[in-house]
Amino acid sequence: MVFIQSCSHSIIQLMIGNFSVLASLGYKLIKNIMQNVLSILFCLSLFYLSVTSRVKAYVTVLQFQGVLLTVLLVFPFIGHFSIYALILPATLFFVKVILIPKYIKKIILDLDIKRTIEPTIQQITFLLIIIFSMTIIFIISNVLSKSTDIETIPFASGFTAIAVGIFVIIYRKKLIVHVAGFLVLENGIFLFGTAVASELPMMIEIGVLLDVFVVVFLMGIAINKISSTLSGFDVTALGRLKD
Amino acid sequence: MLEFSVLILFPLFCTGVCYLLKSIRTQYIISMFVSSFHLIFSLMIFIGWYEPNLPFFFSTDSLSKLFLLVISNVYFWVVLVSFSYLRRPALAKSEEGKRYYFLLLNFYLFANTAAILSNHFGMYWVAAEATTLSVAPLIYFYRNEEALEAMWKYLFLVSVGIAFAFIGILFLILASKGTILEGHQLFFSEFVKKAAVLNPVWLKASFIFIFVGLSTKIGIAPMHSGDVDATSNAPSPIAALMSGSLRITALLGVLRIFQIVSPTSTHEFAKTILVIGGLISLFVAFIYMFKVNNYKRLLAYSSVEHLGIIALGIGIGGIAFIGAMYHVIYNSLNKMVLFFTAGNIHRKFKTREVSGVTSVLNILPLTGWMFLLSFFAISAIPPFGIFFSELMIFQGMLFSDKPWILFITMFLLLFIFINMGKTIFQMLYSKNENEEILLEKEKFEIIHFATIVILILLIAIAVISPEILRDNILNISKDFGIKL
Repeated sequence: MVFIQSCSHSIIQLMIGNFSVLASLGYKLIKNIMQNVLSILFCLSLFYLSVTSRVKAYVTVLQFQGVLLTVLLVFPFIGHFSIYALILPATLFFVKVILIPKYIKKIILDLDIKRTIEPTIQQITFLLIIIFSMTIIFIISNVLSKSTDIETIPFASGFTAIAVGIFVIIYRKKLIVHVAGFLVLENGIFLFGTAVASELPMMIEIGVLLDVFVVVFLMGIAINKISSTLSGFDVTALGRLKD
Repeated sequence: MLEFSVLILFPLFCTGVCYLLKSIRTQYIISMFVSSFHLIFSLMIFIGWYEPNLPFFFSTDSLSKLFLLVISNVYFWVVLVSFSYLRRPALAKSEEGKRYYFLLLNFYLFANTAAILSNHFGMYWVAAEATTLSVAPLIYFYRNEEALEAMWKYLFLVSVGIAFAFIGILFLILASKGTILEGHQLFFSEFVKKAAVLNPVWLKASFIFIFVGLSTKIGIAPMHSGDVDATSNAPSPIAALMSGSLRITALLGVLRIFQIVSPTSTHEFAKTILVIGGLISLFVAFIYMFKVNNYKRLLAYSSVEHLGIIALGIGIGGIAFIGAMYHVIYNSLNKMVLFFTAGNIHRKFKTREVSGVTSVLNILPLTGWMFLLSFFAISAIPPFGIFFSELMIFQGMLFSDKPWILFITMFLLLFIFINMGKTIFQMLYSKNENEEILLEKEKFEIIHFATIVILILLIAIAVISPEILRDNILNISKDFGIKL
């Protein structure tokens, strides 16, 4: 009886020991792989964004990106769990996946906005611009990663999203799509932040405050019913103030 | 703790109080209290009668002491004239704007003070974001389409700019990777001390992103458009506030990163970027002045011009840097007078078009003379302060290794002066063909009192040249490692 007990005890000890050794060895590797996979998924969502022409698809992509970012932020804490560490991912999930998409959908319904995004250039040109800038950003990040210790794929994906956000703002007419573009830009900053400042979580936490702007934009659209005063959600209507 | 309460917590507390109070008069009295206390404390801290001991994330140095005094002074005068401004018969729609006016002003003061006293990039960034949020509803005060458009453009452009500044801060973290600063909090003072170890490539990227991002708020070309729209469509006290203090707060962020860059090999690069930004701003103002049709836009472009001169001065270094610091003070005082008087003109003529404004000197003699004097002041005519600060900047340019910048600047400034003068003299002297405007004697209001005091201040600071101010500015230049 004593023998069996001691045997089982040692086996359990061995298992736990092995697991922790495995975990400590593979943890960094798994983290890296997960980070890269999530970043590539993020890039794919950007491609989808550049070919779709429906406002609703933008909202779906934003939700998808929100989920990716949440997973990315939760993942490092699986090893050493703490309640505090869950606050940021939980906030992010609530704001980016539930609150803002819901609000955008509500505005689209309430103000009866047309369903297309009204691009100013052809979709295929837009896609080419994005592919071109993505290639350049990846090459530059790869070159830079030789001199500094950075994770190339998340870094470059984040930066691409920043560029795509700006392109969306430049090449689309509707104000609500501009807000979506700003959100893409902000998601990019987040991804980029997790790649750069993982040892300084405070800065990433502060980044959530950018969402305050988004909420203000949406409130501005909703309260002022811009469709009625600025005759539509076009930037072309924003032409009163000129030199 | 006392200074922290007075400078930061008290305005925040009064934001809440103003929300609860219905009466605008009570809100005004409370805001006056806050601003007076703030001004007294800033002055005491500046003179050195009071040694501030601020908690975590906040601290003072020569630069923040000077800038704190500048914004506190601007805020005081703006609050002082605000009540008489709000009492004017305005559009019915702006009644709602009046209710939140003082609330937002208090919040604005809180955010700006927090930004200026912060010793941490994260804190500064959050506070800078708050300043944008506080000023945006104030731009929309008139509740008309132009105001809405101006607010939307400003908010959107500045938030993209703020996002860029955030990227710049992340780059700064990257620059510290693999050095002793890795994993440290982003305190300015710590980064300045150990700046030499930072990675130059990322430091350059960081400087560019922070400069470009914040120049949407500073109004340095080519990122100036949102700022110009906002300044020209906001009510005149708010326009004065934006030109005189909000731009300064944003400039502080650029100066902070410039201070970090100073002892490193990136210094020359940063200086070049600042000089280019300054020259483009001057050029944009130069082009605009040929086709002025809106006098508030004229003043907004004048802000772009003068912030450009300040950027030039900082970029040239040496004595020009000292001139730039003086220019910050004089420009913020001068812009207040210009916008206050422009507000009076707007009230009388009910238009912002230059063509609709005639014979101001006859119809509004007091305002007209103040407007004329402040135009002389902004065009650097002695004995007004800007003459002396520009002289210092020009001297710095002449004896720098790039004297040709001086010739370009002089050329652009000459034409800006001629064209601006043409517009303003037309407004002041051309014959009155508009019969609707009644000729009645202009009453002496608090706004006239404010403009007179500020103009006297503008001359007095320049002529007396207080030793305490000079020492402070010399200390700033020492902090930036500038050899004279």
